[in-house]
Amino acid sequence: DERKALSLRRAIVARRRELLSELSVRKEKEETSRRAEQSRKEKEEEAKKARDEMRAKELERNRKERENIRIAEAKKYAQGLLETGVIKSDDLERMEKMANFDTENLISLQVEQLEKEKKEMNHRLRVVSKRVDHLERAFRKEERPLLAQDYER
Amino acid sequence: MRPILLQGHERSLTQIKFNRDGDLLFSCSKDHVINVWYTHNGERLGTYDGNNGTVWTVDVDSESLFMVSGAADNTLRLWNVATGKCLYTWEFPTAVKRVAFSEDDNQVVCITEQRMGHQCAIRVFNINRSGDGTKQSKEPAHMFNPIGSKATVCAFTAQPNIIITGHESGKVSLFNVKTGEEINNNERAHSEVVTDLQLSPDKTYCITSSKDKSARIHDTKTLMVIKTFTTETPLNSAALAPNRPYVLLGGGQEAMQVTTTSLRQGKFETRFWHKVFEEEVGRVKGHFGPINTIAVHPKGTYYASGGEDGFVRVHHFDESYFKTELYGDLQIED
Amino acid sequence: MSGVDSIDYSDIEAKYRVEYDDSLDNTIVVDGVPVIDKSKLDKLVTKICKEFSKRGVPIKPDDLFMPWDDAKGKNKGYLFIDFRNENDANAAITAMNNHPFDAKHTFKLNRFSDIERYSDMNETFVEPETEEYTPREHLRAWLADPQGRDQYVIYRGEEVQIYWHGKPSQCELANKPQWEAFLYVAWSPLGTYIATLHRRGVRLWGGPSWKHQQRFAHPLVKLIDFSPCENYLVTWSNDPIVVPEGAPQGPQYFSPDDEGNNIAVWDIKSGDLLRTFSTRSDEKEAASATRRMVWPALKWSPDDKFVARVTPDQMISVYELPSMGLHDKKSIKIEGVVDFEWCPLSEKDREEAEKAANIGPGAKGGKKVPENKLAYWTPEVVNQPARVTLLSFPGRAILRQKNLFNVSECKLYWQNQGDFLCVKVDRHTKTKKSIFCNLEIFRVREKDYPVEVVELKDTVTDFAWEPKGERFAIVSSSDPNLGNPGPGITIKTDVSFYRLDHAKNDFKLLKTLSNRTSNAIRWSPRGRHVVLATVGSSSKSELEFWDLDFNNEDPNRRDGQVAKEDWGSSIQLLGTADHYGVTDVEWDPSGRYLATSASAWTHTLENGYAIWDFRGQELLKQIQDRFKQFLWRPRPPTLLPKEQQKQIRKNLKEYSRVFDEEDQRESETVNTELLAHRRRLVDEWNAWRVRCKKERAEQKGQ
Repeated sequence: DERKALSLRRAIVARRRELLSELSVRKEKEETSRRAEQSRKEKEEEAKKARDEMRAKELERNRKERENIRIAEAKKYAQGLLETGVIKSDDLERMEKMANFDTENLISLQVEQLEKEKKEMNHRLRVVSKRVDHLERAFRKEERPLLAQDYER
Repeated sequence: MRPILLQGHERSLTQIKFNRDGDLLFSCSKDHVINVWYTHNGERLGTYDGNNGTVWTVDVDSESLFMVSGAADNTLRLWNVATGKCLYTWEFPTAVKRVAFSEDDNQVVCITEQRMGHQCAIRVFNINRSGDGTKQSKEPAHMFNPIGSKATVCAFTAQPNIIITGHESGKVSLFNVKTGEEINNNERAHSEVVTDLQLSPDKTYCITSSKDKSARIHDTKTLMVIKTFTTETPLNSAALAPNRPYVLLGGGQEAMQVTTTSLRQGKFETRFWHKVFEEEVGRVKGHFGPINTIAVHPKGTYYASGGEDGFVRVHHFDESYFKTELYGDLQIED
Repeated sequence: MSGVDSIDYSDIEAKYRVEYDDSLDNTIVVDGVPVIDKSKLDKLVTKICKEFSKRGVPIKPDDLFMPWDDAKGKNKGYLFIDFRNENDANAAITAMNNHPFDAKHTFKLNRFSDIERYSDMNETFVEPETEEYTPREHLRAWLADPQGRDQYVIYRGEEVQIYWHGKPSQCELANKPQWEAFLYVAWSPLGTYIATLHRRGVRLWGGPSWKHQQRFAHPLVKLIDFSPCENYLVTWSNDPIVVPEGAPQGPQYFSPDDEGNNIAVWDIKSGDLLRTFSTRSDEKEAASATRRMVWPALKWSPDDKFVARVTPDQMISVYELPSMGLHDKKSIKIEGVVDFEWCPLSEKDREEAEKAANIGPGAKGGKKVPENKLAYWTPEVVNQPARVTLLSFPGRAILRQKNLFNVSECKLYWQNQGDFLCVKVDRHTKTKKSIFCNLEIFRVREKDYPVEVVELKDTVTDFAWEPKGERFAIVSSSDPNLGNPGPGITIKTDVSFYRLDHAKNDFKLLKTLSNRTSNAIRWSPRGRHVVLATVGSSSKSELEFWDLDFNNEDPNRRDGQVAKEDWGSSIQLLGTADHYGVTDVEWDPSGRYLATSASAWTHTLENGYAIWDFRGQELLKQIQDRFKQFLWRPRPPTLLPKEQQKQIRKNLKEYSRVFDEEDQRESETVNTELLAHRRRLVDEWNAWRVRCKKERAEQKGQ
């Protein structure tokens, strides 16, 4: 019986050793894969960060480009307005200082200006019209006494 | 606001009509088709097919249940507004030139053309509104032939059994439809053919247009001429603007009469006149041919014009139309 | 024109009624005979007989009786002639009345019976005068309108109406004459008369009462033309003159000698016929029947002293007024001549002429009156270029000539003060296929008459000088449809303005308005403003109102010294408008208003007229069936001396104060009246509506 018990214990020990060794191998394996996973994640994160950064940069560049185009457009528009005499250079400077230099504001400035011009034009025409009318009437008024004389002659 | 252009007819418009709610606009044309449109966006709701000739005239009842039409195929037709189905057809020896519902929707008056030995006739039909509308009596409730100049336009007045008519000679008359008796007339209302006749909402007065280049407001009881609007072009249509003291006039020299070559491109105008002061207050251009028919929305918020050019133009009145007070603080009864 | 003629000639007919029992009707009295002594009597009698014979009314010395003043030993300055019968006597009156016998003597002929009538009325014999028409009314009374308004005439259907035009409340009917059965109406150039053309002749009306003033019996007259100073009238009929037997005779009527002719020249004051011509006599013209009638057929010098007509290819004949005798007894022979134009007089020229006339021709110290000028052109013939010539008259001296090559056609345009002459030369390329245009501009006020050329690539369809200005406008076109008018075709055009550059003494482009349809230029009579219009088109009828001195603070700046950068910059569009079917565009005499009309003579669509201010705002529009004619009444030049005009300009502010107040009152009146009118209309309408509604309610309640 003793021998039987001994052999059984030996067998158990052997089995335990076997199991232990198996366990340690598995643990090692798990550890390796965990580490691999972590490194993969880290790498992925890094890549994402890089991508995001690049995208942000791109966006920024686009924004800048648009802004440049917008300003260029506004400048061109402003130039046109300057050339046709719709707005004056000090109007422009004022706008640039107030940092609202864009086409939309320019258009409203132009509308304002045209409105003003129309008003001025109307006023001026009224003045001219009155002058033409009154001058003619004044002439005719002063001519009246001469007409009577002309008839007598 | 930009006008809405209704493009659904291939030939010139003959009459357009709003329903009582003003959400629908009916139009008929020489292309044999009747169309119905949503007023607010100009979308076509449907068509009423079956006529075999120019559709001269349409009218719709106050409930927008039934619509009647008269056409050059010598028929008067009753339609179901919602389904587009033709419910009943009356046939005559000559074309139907004008139709109109009575105020209670129970009667329809129609004028048939004087042609080929047939006299101009005015008939009144009772409309059976019960059931699906297909059961109508073939025979008119009343019929008579107006003596003298043929009638061109007509409508029921506020007085029972009395219709008002406009005639080829320019005459405007009142007839008792039961007896066919001409109970009053104004031989000199116009000097040429009366082309349109539209009633005020309470039917106590009406406006007529004529080829004599003028439009007139008449008292529908006494036939007294209340106002005259004299333009420089033959008129085809005249409409009253509810709630505002304006009338709308449309017309134009016909292409046939334009002797000096080409037309006035897009310059055919709807003319706005002040109803009380008899002064022209504005014009709206747009059509490429004479304006044949004008209608104003029952609430006075839109108006539509149908032209010889085949287009219907729907205009929203803009703010200034409602605000402008040409007459200072004077209150004008509608 | 088949209606009953309403002209009443009975008074004239009565005056010249043939009374056979009056034996003195064949005797006439000639006044204006030179006073001589016995030694020259025979010579004088011979010469008088010769002159009469030359004009187709032969007389013999025996027919003459010359009263003699024995005390002085001289004749009395008039004589009597007996004719065989009354007809011969009448013919003599027509032929010889106003005949210039020599430089100092003009014959006046009268019937002896008429003189007797004068003498009967007056004990002392006064020298008989030709019947002078003395207007009882002041023919220029309309100029004294207290509101300083202008007038216009409209002709619609069979009706004529004359209106005053002023501020809205001052526009009113001036007269609605009952004239009947006439072709059309025309104002005389200074506005004194209005003429109507009837079946039996022309009638003139005028004065505050619009009374009949004169008549000219030219049957079936179709065209008339007044002389610039309103002394004479030219009438034309397509039908040759026929003098039927028993037709009235006398100085105011055609005589058998006039038969076959169709143009007549009349004296407006006396109503006398001066001379007749034929437009048909020229065989060459008759052969080319397609050639259009040129009107005016006779062209007047601006001072009414001469009238001239061209016989194409041959000569220009100039007649002196009032005798209507051929000047110097010979025409100006010009081989190939096509057309000519008189140079207008400037205001200054007129003043000087008037001064000289007041001093008298023989007086010393008086400035020599400048001569008239005329320009004519001759086309290219073998080995000889086309040529424009500037000629003085009556001196007949060639002042300037310019040769031109490759010429198809020339047209002469004088600036209205006679400062410049523009010859529009249509030139063809060597292949004769395409046409381009040169403007040859003569500066007439300068020594040696320098000529500048403006070369243009396109065809010029209209040209107009600014009145009293140094600017002109042209309409040019390169549209391939040009010259092929068809229904619905509107020619694309450019309008350009030019101005004299004093620095370089040439005409320079101020501005071109391209891609338009305008075909008519209408300068304001005061200059500065100009309207460009598209007339006679069925699809376009635009009007553009331009100001050429918009940015010039001083509107009277005339120095022309415009800085280079300012060149053309003060040209400003003031407004645009549209008058559908417009056929006529005319400024009022003051340049404040513009009238446009659509005449039923051209088309029948929306006939009528409109009046705009100078910036294109509509003041009035009348659409009227059968509307035919709108004409502003012209005004004579102002009587105000230059100095006084200057003074008024200077004190304009004071005048303005008064006018402002007047205008204020005027507009208030208008507003109050309009408001009251509208209030009444609204009250009437509302009363009627209330009645209707009540009746309606009662009826419903039943």
